[in-house]
Amino acid sequence: MTTDAASVDSDFRQRVVDVMRAILANLLEYSDPITEDMHLMHELGLSSTLGLELLLQLEDRLEILIDVEKMNQDKVSTVGDFATFIAGHSRPA
Amino acid sequence: MTALEAVSVYLPPARIPIENLAEPLGLTEMQVRIFRRFHGLGTVSRDPEASLYDLLMKAARGLEALPGNQHRIRYVLYARTMPVVAPYPVNPLHEVCQALGLDHALAFTVTHQSCAGGLLAIDIAGRLLAADTADGPGGGQDNSAGPLALVLTGEKAFTREAKMFVDTTIFGEGASACLVSAFGTRDRMLSYVSNVRGEFDNATGKNDMRLQHEYRPSLAEVMRQALDEAGTTLDDIRVVLPHNVNLVTWQRMCLLLEIPTERVLLDNIPTNGHVFCTDMFANYMTACERGLLRPGDRYLAAAVGAGGGATFAAMVFEH
Repeated sequence: MTTDAASVDSDFRQRVVDVMRAILANLLEYSDPITEDMHLMHELGLSSTLGLELLLQLEDRLEILIDVEKMNQDKVSTVGDFATFIAGHSRPA
Repeated sequence: MTALEAVSVYLPPARIPIENLAEPLGLTEMQVRIFRRFHGLGTVSRDPEASLYDLLMKAARGLEALPGNQHRIRYVLYARTMPVVAPYPVNPLHEVCQALGLDHALAFTVTHQSCAGGLLAIDIAGRLLAADTADGPGGGQDNSAGPLALVLTGEKAFTREAKMFVDTTIFGEGASACLVSAFGTRDRMLSYVSNVRGEFDNATGKNDMRLQHEYRPSLAEVMRQALDEAGTTLDDIRVVLPHNVNLVTWQRMCLLLEIPTERVLLDNIPTNGHVFCTDMFANYMTACERGLLRPGDRYLAAAVGAGGGATFAAMVFEH
């Protein structure tokens, strides 16, 4: 399931992007800038397992619950896609 | 046509919360939380007091059709995930055969397909029986006195590697016993497809990322092939009986297959964990107990065996 970036709360989406960058930098020990168009698996080397840790840390820090069962990994491949999905498929914890 | 004549499953009544396994398995708090939140694991079935022999015997004793029919059993196939389960010369399979009065049967182990081995054993059992009885009864004829095979599954989670597949699943203990015939009419096997991918050997780990990427598409492919061979479609499948690797994998499989998660029997993941080759049989029993299978309903069993290579397997049945 995909979500159009224009259909989600842009402020919340930006918060997700900012928190994602901080988590990814720490999780992957990645020191270069992380941009929204970066492919999580192919460019950043994010494994399935680290992807789940990313989701859990996002839930913790943003105090949300993410509808993981609706996340189609094949269609949520970049940092920006991921943030858009979360902005459109999460609720307060 | 290969058919399941009777199924029995034994799961130890004790359930261990996964948090209790953190220290012995060396899991971090984050790993435990991921197992619970995303992999859907809550407890796993374990019986520290029961030996492998005990597990297999408890499953076999549950087969009400076995007593009095031992003479009909030609083969005993023990499908297991791990290649080694007992120190030499201990042989739980032979001990079980002796205890059940099956000394006359040809008993052997089916392995090297990890958790997909149970489906392979059903197929082998049916083929052996069919070959033995090539001139025997045709489909639909009375097979009430015909030859049978006993397919056993079940293992002890006895080492760290046998207790857990890192960041993927935690294994539970249990066992199943299944009578298979070549010409039965009860749960008829309509098709079986498997794809063995030796390049995904976790001993080297060099293709681990590729396996993660190809895991779901490869499983979906054999599922679709099995449906094609059975002359049916996913729409006609009453329920999918999965291997209980974890919840998130099957949630994502459902997105890929474009079916609601309710079509996959995921009930046993939170309580049992991944019970090696036994999952399919335990899920079959749950489907029957829940009244999900009516005569004529078709169902699809699917499993991935990962370890020394990966095997993707799917089997379509008609109840």
